[in-house]
Amino acid sequence: MHRKILIFGVIFVIALATIPLLVHDTFYLRVITEAIMWIGLAITWDVIAGYTGYLNFGHGAFFGIGAYTTAILMMRAHWPFGLALIAGGLASGLTAAFIGAPTLRLRGAYFAIATWALARALQQLALVLNFTGGPDGMRLPPFLNPEFFFYAMLTVVVITFAGLWILLEFAPFGLKLKAIREDEAGAMALGLNPTSLKIQSFVLSALPTGIIGGVYAYWITYIDPASVLGDLVTDQAVVMAVFGGLGTLVGPAIGAVLLFAFKTYFWAYLSDYQVLYLIILGAVIALSVVFLPDGLWGTILKYKSSKSPMPLRNDTGETK
Amino acid sequence: MNSKPTVLNIDSVTKDFGGLRAVDDVSFKIRQGEIVGLIGPNGAGKTTLFNIISGYYPPTKGKIVFKGNNISGLSPFKLAKLGIGRTFQIVKPFAGLTVLENVMVASLLRYPKKKEAEEHSWKILEFTGLADRAYMQAAGLTLAGRKRLEISKALALEPSLLLLDEVVAGLNPAEAAKTVELIFKLKEDEGITILIVEHIMRVIMSISDRIVVLNYGRKIAEGKPEAIAQDPIVIQAYLGEED
Repeated sequence: MHRKILIFGVIFVIALATIPLLVHDTFYLRVITEAIMWIGLAITWDVIAGYTGYLNFGHGAFFGIGAYTTAILMMRAHWPFGLALIAGGLASGLTAAFIGAPTLRLRGAYFAIATWALARALQQLALVLNFTGGPDGMRLPPFLNPEFFFYAMLTVVVITFAGLWILLEFAPFGLKLKAIREDEAGAMALGLNPTSLKIQSFVLSALPTGIIGGVYAYWITYIDPASVLGDLVTDQAVVMAVFGGLGTLVGPAIGAVLLFAFKTYFWAYLSDYQVLYLIILGAVIALSVVFLPDGLWGTILKYKSSKSPMPLRNDTGETK
Repeated sequence: MNSKPTVLNIDSVTKDFGGLRAVDDVSFKIRQGEIVGLIGPNGAGKTTLFNIISGYYPPTKGKIVFKGNNISGLSPFKLAKLGIGRTFQIVKPFAGLTVLENVMVASLLRYPKKKEAEEHSWKILEFTGLADRAYMQAAGLTLAGRKRLEISKALALEPSLLLLDEVVAGLNPAEAAKTVELIFKLKEDEGITILIVEHIMRVIMSISDRIVVLNYGRKIAEGKPEAIAQDPIVIQAYLGEED
């Protein structure tokens, strides 16, 4: 089972890597690069929300921390892009550990409120501070090479996806997180330390998000508090993951591609009705929660498992 | 009377919730290989005492000594590592996971590799009679199945002391008999020391080597089942006072 997935994954990545050879239109390459970025944002959000059961309403903050850290280090300290990117990821991961340590001890809505507040506070901070450029934001040195950014984004997201797959689906870590999601007190009796596992999960969610933010900043060459620290980054990642299917990696990836394709089509052809976009986004989340509580992928998995007979004793592969 | 070493020593344990004294200066010992029954009317403090022993509440006063170490106030996951397994009166299955995955979570404590944890879980499920439902979602189990899953998860920890909180109550007579048989097997085959809370007198009387009776948080009696059944203080606690 795992070998089949591995082979499929490798073929899929190779197919993606050949895209720039076939697509020479900069607009389409840009759209595909951004779609890959949203896959990364949706799956990382799902680590803490879907697998661990803690809603993070400030996911965009980690994207913004990565973007700003990369921009500041490149512009003010003249760090090379690669190093600044790693620093952006570490800054996000550290922030998650710092925010998670007190708030993930508690069950309930505290974590959701704290992450939302963090995102709003950071946005205000970026608006008033000098070294972030305030409301004017920051410009990065233009490096106008769409192929480079396509491959940079693809590399980061593929490594993230593969790393999460190994940790969450292959290694026992994912099972432990799900146990905490299902019943924290019960998990504790079985030798799991929930606080420690939740913080690890949160850092695992935030660190790659920061790196993705860093790539985005250098790619787009201009960031401001609204574009990288606003609500929309979180909101879209949430809708993509919920629509695709929480607690899986494939679901949020599918959700990201479908919703981003819709968004692009909408903005390209129906831009007179821009205000409708957020309304539709809201309707999609409401409808998918009511009619597809398991998301698209979760519903497909359920349908498949209800059709297939029970696996045999010796089939030690994943059944989910 | 019994020369076996003491596994658990509950030493003058008191627990207050605000002004309410839920457990009041309770002391007793459990020796290796024993099954000790803990009984008492509703609200006597049995589950509270369980939660103190398994680390969910720290005691207000007194201490708990497990195999010579003071464990009062240690967190549940540390106690699980030391060898204390427990079940919950209100069962806590991981509803969205399969029965096998439920047990694997516990098996990972002693078998950190997933493959070995899975092998171990199969052994546990065969022992507890849930192997045929291994790929079922835990949410789909009957109450009897869920109680059995609770025991399976606690057993997968390979505990030396097992705390069973009402694993028989609510089952029909056939299921209850099977669970009682399972508990005997744990004692005889696995040599696990057991502290069990149970409401069904017939079960607790037949299963226990010794019984401790709580009422209003205090220990009012301790002894062999036959002696407890005759004890006027115990009868009074259950049936009320005669005018």
